[in-house]
Amino acid sequence: MLFLTWRQLISRKKQTFLILLGISFGTMLFISISGVQLGLRSYISNQLLNNTAHILISGSDRNVDSKDITERFYRDQVVRWIQEPLGKRGEVRLENYQGWAEKLQQDPEVYDFSPRLSVNALLSRGSFSAPVNLIGTLPERHVKITSIQNYMREGDFLNLKGGAQKIVLGSRVAKDLGVRPGQLIHVNIGEGESQGFKIVGIVHFGNDQIDKSIAFAELTKVQLLNRSPGRVSEIAVSLVEMDKSSEIADEWEVLGKDKVQDWQEANKSFMEMIRMQDFVRYFITTAILIVAAFGIYNVLSIMINQKQKEIAILRAIGYGPGKIMELVIYQGVILGIFGGILGVVLGFCMCQWVGSIDLNIEIGGSNHLIVSYDPHIYLIAFSAALLASILASYFPAHFASRLSPMDIIRSQL
Amino acid sequence: MIRCEKLIQEFGNPPFRVLHEIDLKIEDGEFVSISGRSGSGKSTLLYLLSTLDLPKSGKVFIDEYDVCQWSQAEVHSFRNLHIGFIFQFHYLLPELTSLENVLLPARNLGKIEEKTPDALKILEEFGILSKKDSLPGKMSGGEQQRVAIARALIMNPKFIFADEPTGNLDSENGKIVMNILKRINKENGTTIALVTHDQNYASRADREILLKDGRVQ
Repeated sequence: MLFLTWRQLISRKKQTFLILLGISFGTMLFISISGVQLGLRSYISNQLLNNTAHILISGSDRNVDSKDITERFYRDQVVRWIQEPLGKRGEVRLENYQGWAEKLQQDPEVYDFSPRLSVNALLSRGSFSAPVNLIGTLPERHVKITSIQNYMREGDFLNLKGGAQKIVLGSRVAKDLGVRPGQLIHVNIGEGESQGFKIVGIVHFGNDQIDKSIAFAELTKVQLLNRSPGRVSEIAVSLVEMDKSSEIADEWEVLGKDKVQDWQEANKSFMEMIRMQDFVRYFITTAILIVAAFGIYNVLSIMINQKQKEIAILRAIGYGPGKIMELVIYQGVILGIFGGILGVVLGFCMCQWVGSIDLNIEIGGSNHLIVSYDPHIYLIAFSAALLASILASYFPAHFASRLSPMDIIRSQL
Repeated sequence: MIRCEKLIQEFGNPPFRVLHEIDLKIEDGEFVSISGRSGSGKSTLLYLLSTLDLPKSGKVFIDEYDVCQWSQAEVHSFRNLHIGFIFQFHYLLPELTSLENVLLPARNLGKIEEKTPDALKILEEFGILSKKDSLPGKMSGGEQQRVAIARALIMNPKFIFADEPTGNLDSENGKIVMNILKRINKENGTTIALVTHDQNYASRADREILLKDGRVQ
């Protein structure tokens, strides 16, 4: 029946072409929208992962609890606070770093981990100063659990190692202060005197917010600066399998008082935005494909009405209902396949084009949108186009196969 | 041999009886014409005899097989192999050339290559070989009908059912069609049942069956 199907399709060139366009448009839109969204998402995810790794273990905020204080200081006396005590109790810190370190070292799910101490610091050079979030970390571990090395504009992150006080600055910080690697900068964390750190690298994440407020130094140096040797404020953990992060985070959460967040939980609002985007993307594409499917449905229905005589003669010649059904459904399948292929090609071209537009805003180190070319997008788009076409042709095909040749012949007389 | 017993057909609601208990027999190799005025039930009878339609009651036997008992697949296979239909309207597929149209029954059986020489031979006999690659829309009515007859003949069927095959043709082309049918009947021994309202054509058959108001006269 393929032969007949093909002949029928090419005898209606214009119609066939228009339907093909409809299907390929749907496919193309899905691919380009997905490409841009997923590209942006992978870029943002990467940024988030740079900050939080897969799982971030941090000390939980401990607030002053008036009940607790009452019990401790006044025991059995009845106390009414005129003004209840409130506020935070001391600094945020991990309760039991050693315990965590031992556990993480033995856990087979853990790829590696890195303890950090982050403090607010004021960097200054001459009369200029910049407030930053100074992160003390273990350089050789930090590069293993994040892709920070890829974002180094100058120098090497591992330069932080070694005896002297060294620092890596965010690109905007360096620019604002007008400093270059090799120069000295003063770091002050509000307590004690400022200390000189040597700049050994510039990191550029491509995100202005981060680039103008971040600096890295070795953990022990920051601990000394903060006068809190041995203190760690958080542990960034990288897992062997990223997909398990949520599950494992939930498991660890119950182990102690510390806060355990997987990267999705830590960036909840972002993940919600992603879900919203996904919904919009699928919604738009479904709508387009439904329109295209109705196009197929209409055209095939009209064709069947026009071709009743031919269906009757085919039946009289000995083509059974199954063959008639094939005749119509193959048209849908062919339209779906060709429309899908065309759509995939157009979608790819569209992605290339969108990716080449100069947006004049900086995203991830370039002025272009980051577009994802994940094969999954193309696979889903093609399957959706094919499925929509098959569904749309099934109903007319079913109708055609149920036509009785006698009814048709009688109606012709 | 085709035989029917007490064949009754009704249409519509309330049912209107078109055929009243028809008993009839067509021997192998016979050329039978079924004639009558319009509305006499002659086409209805032909479609019942040719497996295209099912009767309200009564039975149709082809070679002593009860046609009504056949499954869809059996009916279609039988039509494909043993029956040729010719209608008043040619019912050619407009997208296919005349040769492809002729070979449609063979295509269903996957026998195109085997049957192509036969098809060309028939087209030649019918004087339309030069039109073998033409689309039906580019041919005259007489030529189209000859292609349709060639299609009915391609599987060398045992039975040919023709419903007013000359109805849409001028007398010249009508004569050509009748001559072809007579010749097939004689040369191949094909059983032919011809429905016509034209007495001239009806009288050329071996046997005439005249229907009046759904009854054999």
